[in-house]
Amino acid sequence: MFTTRKRSVFGGAAIIASAALVLGACASGDNGATPGEPVDPTVEEVTLNFAFWGNDVRAGFYNEALDAFMDEYPNITVNSTFLGFPEFWEARQIEAAGGGLPDVMQFDYSYMRQYSENGLLLDLGPYLGDIIDTSGISDEILSIGVVGGVTTGIATSTNAWGMYTNPILAEQLGVESYPGGGSWDDYNDWINEVSGQLDGHWGGTDWTGRIQNFEIQLRAEGGNLFTEDGQPGFDEARLLEFWQQGEAIRNGGAIPGQRLEEIAPVSGFDAALTLTELTWDNFGAGYLGNLGEPYTSLGLVEPPVHVEGARDLYLKPSMLHTISAGTDHPEAAALLVNFLVNSPEVGSIFGTNRGLPASQTQLAGANLGELDAQIRDYEASIADRLGDAPPVPIVGYGSIEETFRQIGAELGLGTITPEQAVERFFTEMNVILNN
Amino acid sequence: MTAVMREPLDTTSLRTATGPNLNIERGNHRLRRRIVRIIWGVVLVVLTAIILYPLVWLFVSTFKPSSEFGQNPGLIPNNPTIDNYIKVVDGIAGVPLWRFFANSIFIAVMAVIGTLFSSALAAYAFARIRFKFVGVFFAAMIGTLLLPFHVIIIPQYIIFQRLDLIDTYVPLLIGKFLATEAFFVFLIVQFIRGIPREMDEAARIDGAGHARTFVSIILPLIKPALITSAIFSFIWTWNDFLGPLLYVNSPEKYPLPVALRLYNDTTSTSDYGATVAVSFLALVPILLFFIVFQRFLVDGVATQGLKG
Repeated sequence: MFTTRKRSVFGGAAIIASAALVLGACASGDNGATPGEPVDPTVEEVTLNFAFWGNDVRAGFYNEALDAFMDEYPNITVNSTFLGFPEFWEARQIEAAGGGLPDVMQFDYSYMRQYSENGLLLDLGPYLGDIIDTSGISDEILSIGVVGGVTTGIATSTNAWGMYTNPILAEQLGVESYPGGGSWDDYNDWINEVSGQLDGHWGGTDWTGRIQNFEIQLRAEGGNLFTEDGQPGFDEARLLEFWQQGEAIRNGGAIPGQRLEEIAPVSGFDAALTLTELTWDNFGAGYLGNLGEPYTSLGLVEPPVHVEGARDLYLKPSMLHTISAGTDHPEAAALLVNFLVNSPEVGSIFGTNRGLPASQTQLAGANLGELDAQIRDYEASIADRLGDAPPVPIVGYGSIEETFRQIGAELGLGTITPEQAVERFFTEMNVILNN
Repeated sequence: MTAVMREPLDTTSLRTATGPNLNIERGNHRLRRRIVRIIWGVVLVVLTAIILYPLVWLFVSTFKPSSEFGQNPGLIPNNPTIDNYIKVVDGIAGVPLWRFFANSIFIAVMAVIGTLFSSALAAYAFARIRFKFVGVFFAAMIGTLLLPFHVIIIPQYIIFQRLDLIDTYVPLLIGKFLATEAFFVFLIVQFIRGIPREMDEAARIDGAGHARTFVSIILPLIKPALITSAIFSFIWTWNDFLGPLLYVNSPEKYPLPVALRLYNDTTSTSDYGATVAVSFLALVPILLFFIVFQRFLVDGVATQGLKG
């Protein structure tokens, strides 16, 4: 008796509770779906969510920049969230599926195509030249954020492929630093010659492990890694030829693959074991941090060139700003993007933390340190070698790049031949492309 | 650990007890046995040292300056420093480190309370009350164990997002209060089934209803199962990464596992010194928790054996 009555009371409570939950879900679902009326973004009280990836230092910069923004537009409140790079994308992928992307995002080039083609990013066209000032940004840079004819991202800053050298280490070891440029064979010869004179230090790392070096060779021949419609711009024979160029140093003067595995996750250059490394020019600050004393300055020179006079290098956006297509406050979000991209104040806060500012107005405000000025001068010095940016990376480019790096590492360890490497790369690339 | 430490104690007490009147043959035998034991001891210590080496390396490396990583992969730092700890305690992006600890502890403690409370109630119902479709419900609950987290994560995210509960701890904790952790419910159900029904019946004859039976009879008897659940629930919640990653956005609300990753940004400068220091600090509470509660865990298993 007693138990039955108790049970029905509990049962009733449970039904009411679950009904409340369901109704609650519907009610707020309706509210969420109502689009915001177009209102003056400088008056309306709005709250924006902003997400970025980065470390402690960058978070401090963003906090400062967002405070400045909120001072200028007191009606807008910006809540920021930040994570490391892989976690940032893990969270965004699920938010994208659930329809809850932050209003404004710091964005990576390699995800632009996927998010744009799925209609997750707002078309910035109506705001360009209006809320978002484009007078300080070159057309070349603006074209970077265009996918399928629609502008969905604005580059904050640019990077170029370059070669870092360590003149202080070279002096300690009593060898000459690599002057930059030359042909890839010249560079190989230099590595072999320098490493031959040294014990426990090397001229450089096997550069055929990086897809970017392959890319600039293809660009020197007038091609690209991938075409606009996502097909590879090279065949097996061309890739084999590339990997064979590394034979001369792989069994000679390049730092052995085993040594690299021992010191991972830092590179041979980070560990002051090699004198040169080819990479994006914004890696300088990271190198200085990992090298520590006494290596307080670095050299930044042109990479070797495959075909003399080629326009093989290009400016890559180190990151972009995008707005979620589902935002309730597109005007306010555009105001924030404009501020983050153009404001000289933001320039003075960030310096080159996000790369060399793409907008001239922002660059003018940036206080460039020694390394920053070096990067600016480097990007100016390679103007003759800068060509048009390649098509926006295909979906899955990140995985392809990583596969290339892994196979390169195995070549360095001597566990596979270049022929096997080519076969494996094409198999894995086809799997990624067909997805 | 404790077993190894007890071993030598036992042998000494045995030896002194029989010491005065032993004959030579037995002495030889004992000596040989002792040598074998010592060899075993040494082998075990060496094995333990090998297994623990990563942990020791982690601890010692917290005293390496950041730039030494990569240049010195060995155990001993060249230029020992405590800068890593000083830096780490300052926290990240204006949020002090203790805040992340406090968040993690809050979430973990709430999760333990919620799990114990709701799982015990649910388990009691499954084990003792014959309501309609009990078999179906029980099977459905066990079925949820087979669902990988990634399958339900997107619909779950949509629900909490529509309810406007993002950036609160509610999505992380509400499930724990609603007995969705089927593993613990199952564990406790099995435990309750081992308790003789006569005890319930005796209580019922004395006029106790379900509530009274649960509180006064069952709850005290399932203590070992509750302790086991508490330990696992604490450790799992403490280490949970994906949940907080999705549902918590403000850095000042991050628990430790999420905050940990902020020290290691692969796209710019990674502060390896700070990463290892904070990783080590994050291990300490869970290590302490386990050391304190493992005694209860062992006791729990022992009592469960007696009941059988």
